[in-house]
Amino acid sequence: MLVNLLSRAIMMSTPLLFGAISEVFSERTGMMVTAIEGIFLMGAWAGFTTAYISGSLAMGLLFASFAGLLVAMLYAYLCVTLKQHQIVTGTAINILVAGLCAFLHRVVFGVPLSPLTVEPLQKIALPLLSKIPFLGPIFFNQNILTYIMYILVPLGFFIMYKTSLGLVVRSTGENPEAVDVSGINVSKVRFVTVMVSGLMCGVAGAFYSIGYLGMFTTNIIGGRGWIAFAICFLGNWNPIGAFIGTIIFGLAEAFAILMQSGASTFLPNELFIALPYILTIVLTISRKSFNVPAKLGTAYIKEN
Amino acid sequence: MDKPFFELKGISKYFAKVIANKDVSFSVNRGEVLALLGENGAGKSTCMKILYGLYGADEGEIYKNGEQIIIKSPKDAMKHKISMIQQHFSLVSAHTVTENIILGNIKGKINWAYEEQKIQDLANKYELKVDAQKKIKDLTVGEQQKVEILKALYLEANLLIMDEPTAVLTPQEIDNLMKFVKDYSKQGNAVIFITHKLKEVMSVANRIIVMRSGMVYGNVKKDKTDEYQLSKMMIEGSFEQIERDDSLNYSDEICLSIKNMSLKSKSGIPVINDVSFDIHKGEIFGVAGVSGNGQLELCMSICGAMKPDEGFVLLNDVDITNYSIKERIALGLGYVPSDRHRYGMVMSMTLAENILLKTSYSKYWKKHGLIDRKKLNDKTNKILTNFNVKAPGPASLAQELSGGNQQKVIVGREVENCGDFIIFDQPTRGLDLGAINNVHSSILNEKENEKAVMLVSTELSEIFALCDRVAIFYKGEIQGIYKTSDLDSEKIGLLMAGYKKQGDK
Amino acid sequence: MDKKTRDILITSFLAVIMGLFLSGIMILFLGKNPISVFALLFSSMFRDGYTIGEIFVKATPLIFTSLAFAFTFKASLFNIGAQGQFYIGALTAASISLLIPHPIAIVLAIIFSFLFSGIWGGLIGFFKSRFKANEFLISMMSTYVALNFMNYLLRTVLIESKGEYPQTDSLAKSTWLFKIVPHTRLHFGFILAIVVAILIWLLLYRTTLGFRIRAVGQNQEAARMSGVNPELVFIFAFFVSGGLAGLAGVTEVNGVQHMLLQGFNPSIGAIGIGIAILANANPIGIIFASILFGALQVGGTIMGQISGVPSSIIDLMEGFVMVFVIISYFVRNKLEVNREKKLLLEGDK
Repeated sequence: MLVNLLSRAIMMSTPLLFGAISEVFSERTGMMVTAIEGIFLMGAWAGFTTAYISGSLAMGLLFASFAGLLVAMLYAYLCVTLKQHQIVTGTAINILVAGLCAFLHRVVFGVPLSPLTVEPLQKIALPLLSKIPFLGPIFFNQNILTYIMYILVPLGFFIMYKTSLGLVVRSTGENPEAVDVSGINVSKVRFVTVMVSGLMCGVAGAFYSIGYLGMFTTNIIGGRGWIAFAICFLGNWNPIGAFIGTIIFGLAEAFAILMQSGASTFLPNELFIALPYILTIVLTISRKSFNVPAKLGTAYIKEN
Repeated sequence: MDKPFFELKGISKYFAKVIANKDVSFSVNRGEVLALLGENGAGKSTCMKILYGLYGADEGEIYKNGEQIIIKSPKDAMKHKISMIQQHFSLVSAHTVTENIILGNIKGKINWAYEEQKIQDLANKYELKVDAQKKIKDLTVGEQQKVEILKALYLEANLLIMDEPTAVLTPQEIDNLMKFVKDYSKQGNAVIFITHKLKEVMSVANRIIVMRSGMVYGNVKKDKTDEYQLSKMMIEGSFEQIERDDSLNYSDEICLSIKNMSLKSKSGIPVINDVSFDIHKGEIFGVAGVSGNGQLELCMSICGAMKPDEGFVLLNDVDITNYSIKERIALGLGYVPSDRHRYGMVMSMTLAENILLKTSYSKYWKKHGLIDRKKLNDKTNKILTNFNVKAPGPASLAQELSGGNQQKVIVGREVENCGDFIIFDQPTRGLDLGAINNVHSSILNEKENEKAVMLVSTELSEIFALCDRVAIFYKGEIQGIYKTSDLDSEKIGLLMAGYKKQGDK
Repeated sequence: MDKKTRDILITSFLAVIMGLFLSGIMILFLGKNPISVFALLFSSMFRDGYTIGEIFVKATPLIFTSLAFAFTFKASLFNIGAQGQFYIGALTAASISLLIPHPIAIVLAIIFSFLFSGIWGGLIGFFKSRFKANEFLISMMSTYVALNFMNYLLRTVLIESKGEYPQTDSLAKSTWLFKIVPHTRLHFGFILAIVVAILIWLLLYRTTLGFRIRAVGQNQEAARMSGVNPELVFIFAFFVSGGLAGLAGVTEVNGVQHMLLQGFNPSIGAIGIGIAILANANPIGIIFASILFGALQVGGTIMGQISGVPSSIIDLMEGFVMVFVIISYFVRNKLEVNREKKLLLEGDK
């Protein structure tokens, strides 16, 4: 059913949007959070484990964001403070987190006989709004994180273009020297922005484990942190663009799930699984990134 | 007598490879225009960056009105009403004038219409013709500088530091700037401007600090000195004036020929407009003009990095207009670029590798498919010796050498590789006098070897000392081609500013 | 030995030690004694000839995937898709070996695995050259595409005769890479890896082509001004890189598994990146670092079987080591700057 598909699409967009918008802000300051996949994974694990042990999904989300924050702080320390290479560092952290999550899962849970589960986030039907024909069930019968997503988009846009914070963020990625000369601490701006990314991406990761699947496996994220990363590029470093990109991918993912669980058509399952990734490649090639923050990816070094 | 407005006492700053400032002390008073004079690398920018909080001093103190103040960051400097305009403007080119000026000076929600109006009013008040809504990248260099000044005025700065403000201005814009500086200081504010140009110093400064090798060598009032004395203070040691044999003429044989070259920028503005000239064998042909008038694009088009929209490039009568860079290098076209860090060398590679850089496709270096390292090291050593390069050896990294020595390596490489024609683009910019001399000797040597030389330079003294003929570039067009002996600095200055015929300014 | 090399060796060594140290702390969380665990880890690596052979068996594909990352890294490009290029190489090797049950298949497998995975990787270079696309993202995504492609083929065209599991039949013995040490699994692939690593080193540091690749990596504009065509370099670098990762497919399919199945060697791409970083992208250093990581893997597996410490501690150790290697870059740089400052001040007196 179309409504089912679209409702699913919105739901699957949620973690991607959390990731993409936070990545937009970070990249606007010049920091590519290449540890994003690792932060998602850390959030997924921390969220699941906390929720399982405490029985509270809210606690799970809280600790997920905290865990994401910690990973982001490690990344920020290496890349902002020590000014090391962003891609190398991100890769190292992703490997570290993968090992860490697998190890910690063993430590905490041992080898369970049957997979551990929690009850995932329930959908909350908004009164009145969810009764609107067609649109109601799609937009207003979602879980709490999706409703937060609805606020994040206009909020992100507003902060980016209508506040001094947004001006500072945008200027930092274009010309950190100009920002420095204006009396603002470039490192502080970058560090804090990356930290916020950590918080949001931690929650995004937890969405998969406790918001949707209700369990944790070591490959639960499966590259979707990277898709959020790609959406930032494809959305032209703009919260609205990120939203549009997210919807497209959410649609692709929902479509893929529907195709897989439904009657197998003459098109192979694997094609649908690979669809989001193929889409990313095609869009990355065709979309000329004409709004790249000028100093994206480079450390700000003052003294010789 | 009042205490000085701002004072530096005993400032020292050490970087990894060089002592940038040693025991620098001087002060500036209210209503005073202070010039910080010295040649490149003297340490002028460094001590001002310390005053503005961009660098931290290793030793020394800063005083305001007799009391010590601590400046650890530009924020602190701004609190003390100090503003600095750097040589390479600190502007975000993708943003508008308003966005640049209010950066760091506003909190919370931004009402763009209100802020733009405020900026526009301020600009009008000080007669700085700037449109608050325009993006920086759409402004001319002179207008960008006005934005920087506007930012200082917005912050109500009392001390304005300007680092080489006239480097990229036309003579008319320089006059406007000097007028502003005089007016601004008359209001009781202080101005420190950093420069290496004696003429400007004598026209606008009240007092002059001369720096050399990181130390203060002179502190004089303008009316107590003159250009000659100042240049003596600036220059370290003695240097030989290069004897120029004016009787040396050049052959009639044309080596390089440019015919009707035109090139438009991405936005459709002509960057080179119907340019034609010939360079003969044994001639040093000068290209003069304020930088940014198409000289770089001209060099790039000749060496193959850019393709002109119209016109031809002929080398020894061969049409090379469509040749690749690789093909032109193989034909013996040499190019000493103006930005050696970006185009000339790979700083993280060894000297030997940098020598190989230009000719890596040649079979000369190959022995059984691999690089013949002995040959390469021998060639590198030869260049190091012949061109007076102070370096440990072919295996040292390019970044370990001083700027002057790096440039000598590039000059040596290009001279050794080039066939009949070589371009020198601002070859002595940023070099100390010893290195400048070396480069000039090399250029004159090439002339003696019957090579055709194109020398692009913004230093008129260099043009006059070396060139046989000179073309003056203005907004992508040649204002005229003259024998250097037929020109004087006044005439050339007018041409550089776009005046094609003699007349009043 | 000059100061710089000494710095590199010392700081790399310290990074490994720090990585082990932090892993030791994590082991404490398990309630086990880290020292005895490590002792067990190291002793089990060398417990018999077979196990020692396993070290080199594990190191073989890692040498190829780290060479793959290092090669493009020298051109300042990021190939994160070695895992996918490995899958393509493995597919090619398996297909050829199934079609031609004869030793000649080995030679063909090597040639065509390199070629096809090279093309798969080279496409990324092409997209970067032609469209200025972000190769980091594309290479990342290409792995997932390759993975699903492989899974699909294993489920359909290449599926075993029984048709039960998504995997190929066993390869004919004549297509197996011959063993170089009896009573172990150590096969010719290891020799191939060493030879290829040396060839890559020669290419990068002793030929003009390798010089141009490195020049593009260190200063693209200066290289362009010197007649080099960076766009061609991108394509070539990714082609070779992809091909190298593809060779790991040959060694694993023809040398170890003797078949192709889903989910094998799932992280040699990522670990290859870590090794390349640890070895500073130097092909000779990569040989040693790969052997080190291979040893850790072998020891970790055994340790996991015996002591109840999960083998994922190894992944954790590798991750910690990588992070400390990055910190060591910073420390080395700082040491260098301070050393020069001191020299300067002394010279001034």
